[in-house]
Amino acid sequence: MKRHFGFIIALLAIQNDLFAAEAGMPQLDPKYWASQAFWLILVFTILYISIAKFYLPKIKNNLDNRENKIKDDLDDANKFKELSENKFKEYEKILENAKKEVIKIQIESKNKLDKDIKTKKETVEKEIEKEIIKAQKEISDLKKNSISDIQKISENIASNIIESISGDKLNESSIKAVVEDVSKKNLGKYL
Amino acid sequence: MASNPMQQFSVHKIGPEIKIAGIDLSFTNASLFMVISASMILLFLFFGTKEKKIIPDKIQLISEIFYTFVAKMISDTAGSKAKPYFPFIFSLFMFVLFCNMVGMLPYSFTVTSHIIVTLIMALFIFIAVTIIGFAKHGFRYLSIFVPSGVPTVLLPLITVIEIISYLSRPVSLSVRLFANMMAGHTMLKVFGGFVISLGLLGGWLPLGFSIALTGLEILVAFLQAYVFAILTCIYLNDALNLHH
Repeated sequence: MKRHFGFIIALLAIQNDLFAAEAGMPQLDPKYWASQAFWLILVFTILYISIAKFYLPKIKNNLDNRENKIKDDLDDANKFKELSENKFKEYEKILENAKKEVIKIQIESKNKLDKDIKTKKETVEKEIEKEIIKAQKEISDLKKNSISDIQKISENIASNIIESISGDKLNESSIKAVVEDVSKKNLGKYL
Repeated sequence: MASNPMQQFSVHKIGPEIKIAGIDLSFTNASLFMVISASMILLFLFFGTKEKKIIPDKIQLISEIFYTFVAKMISDTAGSKAKPYFPFIFSLFMFVLFCNMVGMLPYSFTVTSHIIVTLIMALFIFIAVTIIGFAKHGFRYLSIFVPSGVPTVLLPLITVIEIISYLSRPVSLSVRLFANMMAGHTMLKVFGGFVISLGLLGGWLPLGFSIALTGLEILVAFLQAYVFAILTCIYLNDALNLHH
């Protein structure tokens, strides 16, 4: 490394000698100053005018457009968000109302059903009672009729049996009296 | 042997001699590179603004970044009153930046490494700022030489110093850019010369330096353009917003 630095220093010395020999900064030579000033002013003026008149307004326009677009989009998004929130609230309200109505309808229908069932039950019960009463009456009628029928049949059978056994015809009234007596004693057991 | 590192700054004419009223206004290599830099800016801006996309492509994005960069620089240093001067600052920044950057290409010429170029720009800025100051505030503009809150005893001294510092603005502005550019390019040339003269054996070290310096010079090219533009903004701010 030291050797390299030695080299560099030596070369620097040589080069410095060279500068001294050739002397100078071309910048300080006034030969082309006027030309440089003239071309600088010309070029820069053209550059300035084209930048100021064409390019900067274009860039500015585009940046503004983008900003406006972003702003508009954000506004739109906010609007839609509000809208959707409102819709959601509406929907929730509707849902709540519907729930309430459902409960109402349920209660109503339950009441109606209960009432219906009750009335039907009552009518059915009434009818059943009627039927029972009717049936009982029929039964008792039947009972009465059957007793007299039985007595008649019994009298007939009794007279027939006596006739076929003894060959005599017995007095009908005496048979009737006997049958009545017996049936009164035994009929109660079966009917 | 390496050529003179100052050779790269020499101006020579290209094409016919143009003389107007006895003044030599010939087209030179300096003029050529001014035209090249300006054309590159215009070409870049042309493609940067060709399509107006909501989602920009690369070149459009770069042009918009330059726009917002300069716009922010101006609004940060000179406030909203400096808006009418935005195109000028933008053009100035782009021109200095592109001249510096084009100068970084091998075999090219660095326009801003000439004191006359930077001095004309600085003088223009200085005179324009002074005119703006007087036009906006009249003779009250002279109050920038009298800072507030200074003891009366020191006031004459401070005023003299302020006047000197104000008058030296164009010099400092122009010399800063010129000297930076010239020194950087000279150094690059010197190290380049070492690479050749030390040959295969010893040339690697200066080559490494050369590469590192190239990176540094690109940074300096950008930085000096930025400094030039921001100082213009600061001077403009002094003229627009008078502090009491």
